[in-house]
Amino acid sequence: MESTIVLILFGAFLVLLVLGAPITVALGVSALISFLYLGENPIKFVQIAFTSVGSFPLMALPAFILAGALMEAAGISRRLVHVAESFAGPFTGGISAATVFACLFFGAISGSGPATTAAVGMLMIPAMIDRGYNKGIASAITASSGSLGIIIPPSIPMVIFGISALGMQPPPEAVEKYGVFQSVSIPKLFIAGVLPGLLIAGSLLVMNYIICRRHGYRGSAEGFSGRNIACTLYKGFWALLAPLVILGGIYSGFFTPTEAAIVAIFYTLLIGFFVYRELSFKDLARSLETTTWLTGRVLLILFTATVFGRLLVENQIPAIIAEAMLSATDNIYIIWAMLIFFLLFVGMFMETLATILILTPVLLPIAYNLGIDPVHFGVVMVCALGIGFQTPPLGENLFIASGISNISIEEISVRALPFALINTIAIFLIAFFPDIVLWLPRAFGY
Amino acid sequence: MTVKFFHFIDNIESFICRSLLAIFVCLLFAQILSREIFGYSIAWSEELSTYMFVWFVYFGASYAARLSAHNRVTFQFKKLSKKAVNYIEGIADLFWIAFNVYFVYLSFNFVFFKMNLFWKSQTLGVPMKYIYVILPLAFTLMTIRIIQVNYLKLVKGIDIRDPDKQDVQKMMEEGGGASTQKS
Repeated sequence: MESTIVLILFGAFLVLLVLGAPITVALGVSALISFLYLGENPIKFVQIAFTSVGSFPLMALPAFILAGALMEAAGISRRLVHVAESFAGPFTGGISAATVFACLFFGAISGSGPATTAAVGMLMIPAMIDRGYNKGIASAITASSGSLGIIIPPSIPMVIFGISALGMQPPPEAVEKYGVFQSVSIPKLFIAGVLPGLLIAGSLLVMNYIICRRHGYRGSAEGFSGRNIACTLYKGFWALLAPLVILGGIYSGFFTPTEAAIVAIFYTLLIGFFVYRELSFKDLARSLETTTWLTGRVLLILFTATVFGRLLVENQIPAIIAEAMLSATDNIYIIWAMLIFFLLFVGMFMETLATILILTPVLLPIAYNLGIDPVHFGVVMVCALGIGFQTPPLGENLFIASGISNISIEEISVRALPFALINTIAIFLIAFFPDIVLWLPRAFGY
Repeated sequence: MTVKFFHFIDNIESFICRSLLAIFVCLLFAQILSREIFGYSIAWSEELSTYMFVWFVYFGASYAARLSAHNRVTFQFKKLSKKAVNYIEGIADLFWIAFNVYFVYLSFNFVFFKMNLFWKSQTLGVPMKYIYVILPLAFTLMTIRIIQVNYLKLVKGIDIRDPDKQDVQKMMEEGGGASTQKS
């Protein structure tokens, strides 16, 4: 019984995917066939269509997308990059290190990896090439650090993970075995993402230093310019305030993530229209439009993925997979390695948000059954899928970096390999030492 | 005049969605202001904005279908010609249409024959029936959009591209210009 339903569900899903049907259709049709096969009432589809989307925390998604699009148009992102650039100074590999820092800053206001790569890359890749960097290396560094955008909060993938995880209770047998699990919430995920994000940034900086040393990229001759730093800090003051408003508001508990994003939107409108005067009504209309189709396409997947996930859970499929994994090995490190390689593999082929929506209902119950903390699991999942941005065939960051520098995707991918490698090592550290993720939320009293 | 009218019809979801988005963002902001400044919480604003959000999402999904923006896995098509890919995706879209038609039937039935007027929303007191109407409505629109896109692609031979890829394309042109200037 269970094996037939697995065959129907995953078989139909994969056939439709290979046929080139949209992901949401592959999910919906395979779930519908299974429903009809099981003789369940498909009216559930209608109810889930409404309840899965009609949740208040989910409104953080369009709000953050809109805020990010507006900040780009208002010139806030550009000023943040200039601040990071001014710190580059006389260090070996300084300007590329500044690229990593720029992504770190920008990641704190934008929730998307490709947006981070585009905003930072447009300014930093030409700057690096100016200083004699190999074009391929310059693009690879940008594409690799662009993934920081989805790990450093606020993070759109984490909002999506949080929403998928909210509706899933830990199975009772797991609670019996491992004790009570902590609950998942979006602010908690946002705090949990800080240290892992810094660790990954640190690993990128180390690799950057090694590569720049080998190629002999020295710092600028003019040295460390305090005047220049002060100047960009002054010009970027209002831009620097944006991440402070967003994150400060969320961490102090003053705002929910949705409200913080709403405040960020109005803050950007104010700065863009009256202080920097770079925003036009045309930009505003375009930002609204981008938000519309991006949200529509992601949340249609949310609807079908919810039905799909519910079928899986009702048929105990994650529990069966978890049992199979445990019978193969009960070493948690080997299990983590399997999970991470699986996520890296899937991340290479599928769009990140869709992947999270599909895999959370499958993998989170497995994680519960193995006694893995849900917040820890979510952060590792987002980090691992982030690497998918910098690997072919579906590396959005690579496409964007390649578009900016005019270097072939193949060459950038090769240059990006050392960064992907050290990122993977950092992810293993994050997976093996849960305290890297869990210590900060605990310290904040969540 | 007629051109303008058709342009409006062709982008109707976009107009609706942009208005809905702007309104619920303002509504949420008003709610934050009134709570933080006047210490008064507007009871109905959360519910109203959530329902507007649901309408926004499903009209947005239909608009994304018009833009052909729904994510597909395409790396297996790399060796095929653009035309062949269009036909394969057109066949795959038949499943989409079938799913939508069945879903419209289900939701239409549910909204008009199963839901009564006494099931009302908690704070607004509006019958839920009128809010659920979005489901048959948006999925009908989406089905029309899928047929329209496939007609444009297969019969008229118009190249409709995922807006993601258009963005990258645009950036390539701009970025290419920028880097040649610099170097």
